[in-house]
Amino acid sequence: MHTLITLAQLTAVEADQETVRKLLVWATLLPLVSSIMVLFLGTRYLKKQAGTFACVVMGISFACAILAAFKFTSGNMESFTWKIPWIPIYMGKDGASWLYLGLFCDQLTVALMAMVTGISLLVHIYSVGYMEGDKRYERFFCYLSAFTFSMLGIVTANGLMQLFVFWELVGLTSYLLIGFWFEKKGPQLACKKAFVMNRVGDTGFLIGFGILFVQLGGKVLVPAADGSMFDAIAAELGGKAAIMEHPPMWLTVAGICLFFGAIGKSAQFPLHTWLPDAMEGPTPVSSIVHSATMVAAGVYLTARIFPILTPAAHLFVCIIGLITLVMASMMAMVMTDIKRVLAYSTLSQLGYMILGVGSGAYIFALFHLITHAFFKCCLFQCSGSVINMAHHQQDMRYYGGLAKKMPLTALAYGICTLTISGIGIGSFSIFSGFYSKDGIILGTYNYAHELGGLGSLFFWGPVIVAYITPFYMARSFALTFLGKPRDQHLYDHVKEAPKTMVVPQLILALCAIISVPWLLPWEQMIEVTRETLVNKNVTWIQGIPTHAEHHHIALPLLFGLAGALMLAVGIWMYKDGFGKAEYLLKKVPGLKLLYTWALNKFYFDHLYDVFFVKMTKCFAAICNFIDKWGFDGLVNVAGHWTKGLAWFTGAFDNKVVDGLVNGAANSARAGGQALRTTQPGRIRVYVSLLFVGLVIALMFAMTLVTG
Amino acid sequence: MYESLLNWLIFTPCIGAVACLLLPADKARNIALGTSIITLLMTIVLALEFQIGHSGPQFVTTLQWIPAINVQYKVGLDGLSLPLIVLTSALSVLVIGAGWKIEKSPNIFMALYLLLLSGMYGVFVSLDLVLFYVFFEISLLPMYFLIGVWGGPRKEYAAIKFFLYTLAGSICLLITMLGIYNVTSSADFVAGNTWDMMALQTPAIQALFSPEGEYWNFARWAFWLTFIAFAIKIPVAPFHTWLPDAHVEAPTPISMILAGVLLKMGGYALMRITYPLFPDAASLYWECVACIAVFGILYGALCAMAQTDWKKLVAYSSVSHMGYVTLGIAVLTRTGFDGAYYQMIGHGITSAMMFFLVGVVYERAHHREINNFGGLWLAWPKYGGWSMLGFFAGMGLPGLCGFIGEVMVLLGTFQAAQRVEDPTFVYIIGSLAAFGVVLTAGYILWMFQRIYMGKTRPEYDHFEKPTGREYAIMVTLGVAALIFGIAPILVFSYTNATFNNLMSVIGLAGLTN
Repeated sequence: MHTLITLAQLTAVEADQETVRKLLVWATLLPLVSSIMVLFLGTRYLKKQAGTFACVVMGISFACAILAAFKFTSGNMESFTWKIPWIPIYMGKDGASWLYLGLFCDQLTVALMAMVTGISLLVHIYSVGYMEGDKRYERFFCYLSAFTFSMLGIVTANGLMQLFVFWELVGLTSYLLIGFWFEKKGPQLACKKAFVMNRVGDTGFLIGFGILFVQLGGKVLVPAADGSMFDAIAAELGGKAAIMEHPPMWLTVAGICLFFGAIGKSAQFPLHTWLPDAMEGPTPVSSIVHSATMVAAGVYLTARIFPILTPAAHLFVCIIGLITLVMASMMAMVMTDIKRVLAYSTLSQLGYMILGVGSGAYIFALFHLITHAFFKCCLFQCSGSVINMAHHQQDMRYYGGLAKKMPLTALAYGICTLTISGIGIGSFSIFSGFYSKDGIILGTYNYAHELGGLGSLFFWGPVIVAYITPFYMARSFALTFLGKPRDQHLYDHVKEAPKTMVVPQLILALCAIISVPWLLPWEQMIEVTRETLVNKNVTWIQGIPTHAEHHHIALPLLFGLAGALMLAVGIWMYKDGFGKAEYLLKKVPGLKLLYTWALNKFYFDHLYDVFFVKMTKCFAAICNFIDKWGFDGLVNVAGHWTKGLAWFTGAFDNKVVDGLVNGAANSARAGGQALRTTQPGRIRVYVSLLFVGLVIALMFAMTLVTG
Repeated sequence: MYESLLNWLIFTPCIGAVACLLLPADKARNIALGTSIITLLMTIVLALEFQIGHSGPQFVTTLQWIPAINVQYKVGLDGLSLPLIVLTSALSVLVIGAGWKIEKSPNIFMALYLLLLSGMYGVFVSLDLVLFYVFFEISLLPMYFLIGVWGGPRKEYAAIKFFLYTLAGSICLLITMLGIYNVTSSADFVAGNTWDMMALQTPAIQALFSPEGEYWNFARWAFWLTFIAFAIKIPVAPFHTWLPDAHVEAPTPISMILAGVLLKMGGYALMRITYPLFPDAASLYWECVACIAVFGILYGALCAMAQTDWKKLVAYSSVSHMGYVTLGIAVLTRTGFDGAYYQMIGHGITSAMMFFLVGVVYERAHHREINNFGGLWLAWPKYGGWSMLGFFAGMGLPGLCGFIGEVMVLLGTFQAAQRVEDPTFVYIIGSLAAFGVVLTAGYILWMFQRIYMGKTRPEYDHFEKPTGREYAIMVTLGVAALIFGIAPILVFSYTNATFNNLMSVIGLAGLTN
């Protein structure tokens, strides 16, 4: 009787899993279906309805994801995996293990699925308005849906290899989206740059995967029965005391290599330069690439591979995060292109997340990923509305006072500015950004404390940037929406964006607010994941902070109010244009230099252009030269010598041998003919050469064998 | 009843060739198309009748040919041959489609092409060294004329270079063959002298070629000689310089078959002859071969980047991509072999497609200077879409056929670290090979930007839009690239048993844990 009940329960659990699995599969595949349908039916049948169609399909996908999330969370389900074999990898005689495609579902998966589909839906709706009138309107939705599909594939991946497959597909689709207006030079270069830099990161990923594959064998390929492949790896490592005590070099290298993939996708230093250039794409693209999807993938990957990162690898991750964080925030302070400000702000926030993951506060990093997705997507959409209304003028020097003309956009932008600044009082705030960023800083505090010495940089870096962030955000807000218009003509033509654009903005702003932990349980949703990840005896993961601790620290107070202060300073400085800033620039020594450096993006683009692009091209030219005059030269010289020899034998044959018979007069003419080396003549020579060769070969073979 | 089908497969194209020559010239195209469709159907029947799970050759025909020196006519089909046969048959139909508009004596063109087809089939099914050699040479001669007569401005140079270069390789092969024959004669064999590939893989002969064996010196020489013979065909840099010239001068359909199938003869022969016959020499020199392969990958990619001739760029990309084949074989792991084989199939599809895409434009623009193109995507959106599929498949994007081969070769390379004491070398080789992926992305995207992106040029208005025939070829290849990118099991289910056997012959079953 007892067993029967258990069996019944089991089947109930399985049935639930089955439902969730189906929902997730549908949520993932629907965007692909929509993309393919728009591709083939778009221009002929759907036409202007392509946008609506894509939105509807995306809406269904979102509904599936939300349903799955509810079912998974409310049912308190265990994480599960589902796999179908894809590529056979034979590990010896006893049979194949496989590279699997499939699905892995845990709290993190369903949370991110809901987030990605939701934001993608809003971006789809926004695009209906933004892309209106574009001559490749349908094609845009095809790419956008395909891009969403690739990202969902990453989130649901049940192993590193599947993750890599979709990782690359995200690269491809982002290439298409960034280069959407490929008639112009800027997008052409930007999309190529994005793809190649991502591929550099991907190479690292492949190498890391290869090293893990060698060291852990099939374990890297097979997902664990109850969890993902990542768990399987962690369990494999956790079981080995020797590895836990002295993390081997190869593991560190493998971890760093895998993280290199994340550096590429999440645009961390030193592969960060593609992200600001990617602004060349249509603004909806920026809003999805820089919020919920592509750049999020890197953070997601780092969080997933967290258990296999050794302490040394953690340090590496933190250093990369810190550099990106500080550098990008400085650049964001000086840019005048509104989208570039936001792009560098994205970089900086990604730096926060990476630093958070590295320092062990990866729950908050993921939380920040979600909150950031909402407010950054909203900020980009607002900027897109402004740009679209301002006839594609992106420079904030021509804006000013737009709040009167587009109040709703200004409202959404304002809310998100407050959110990204992390405004709060004590340990309470109505803005989600406060909680997530705070958690990260708390994590870095613990980490810095543990390291001691120079390690305190890992704490002070994020704190200082937490001061800078409100400043540059206030700057962009004030320059765009406040003060007097600096370009009257532009001002006169601006009006509020159409509903399809404003509504998504407002919804996103609302999401940015209600994602606070006391309303939406994002944090708990991710919390569960941590336990399954850490309960594998991986002993070097410790001291992961929870929010319970942070009430005891004065930090939040310091940080929430400071945000408000810097916000006020930013608005005061820039509400009347650049006057005060320029005055400051003149008066404070050394500031000008820093300003020029930051404005030129610390010359990374120049550096890379000279050292990588030019050098590779130069190298290619050298190879081509070697090919032409070296390898091919040898071949040609051999050919010429043979020809010379042939001429000689030909002449000898005609002049001497034939001449003996036919006399001197005939032989002269025959020699002339041989000189001309007509086609049949040459072939005869070659055939005779072939026979000579054969004879030599025979002799050679004989000596080899007998001798 | 299907036992003799393989022989029909080989000789049907010959009959077609004769028919092309005898019947009126304007019928030649139809005859050739009919013949190739018949062979394709035969291939399908063979594939359906093929017993999956058998490692040995099937549909075997053995006849005495030259009894005095024990030369046999022995053909058979196993897992190593079948996918390549299918590739050949399928491509041959498309190639005839691509050559539909050949104006200059189409009957001779088609006859030569069908003769070439016979040669290719023969190479992939021969189980006797002499027979293999004969077919290897037979495939050479039609190619010489196809390039030399129907080619571009420097056709004579390219044709002769191709012919002689490959012939030089063949001589290396011939030397080894003669040597092997003598070895079998000097040893005490019940069977006596033999050229039979299967007989040569038996342990008794393998023992002679092992380090303790009597003919270890010979085996080492023979390994390198056969390696060079086939390396020229693949082509492995630095033996590749015939390839860009041949490709640039050859007409589009011939480029397609050259890159799509003829290069695979090299890789196939390495797997069929060099490695199973001299496994010990191979594992002695594997590092050297792997270095050559990786050099080829990077060097080919860099050369491709420097090209301004579109077709030459694609030709050099072949050098780079076939480097992965060599690498996969060189590292002596199961995954590497599988990957190399899959890379051959994948490259067969993508390279044919890339050459065809170039050909479509060349036919209209009459030049191939990359920098003088631009905005082709806007002019022909559909063509642009299929081009993207083709070139990105060549780049090894997941979901397309180039990816699986590349990734498996890379994994196989890393896998080699398991059997050596110090894995540093393996890691370096693997990392460099992986870096080739970045260079590939670099030159393909750069080319793609210069040719397809940007504003359209006014002269495109005069171009005839790609025809239905051309789209049919593009779509077939594109869909194939997709299918083989998604379902690799289509190939591996056929090859598995044979590769298991091959691995035990090479003696690696125990090495790859």
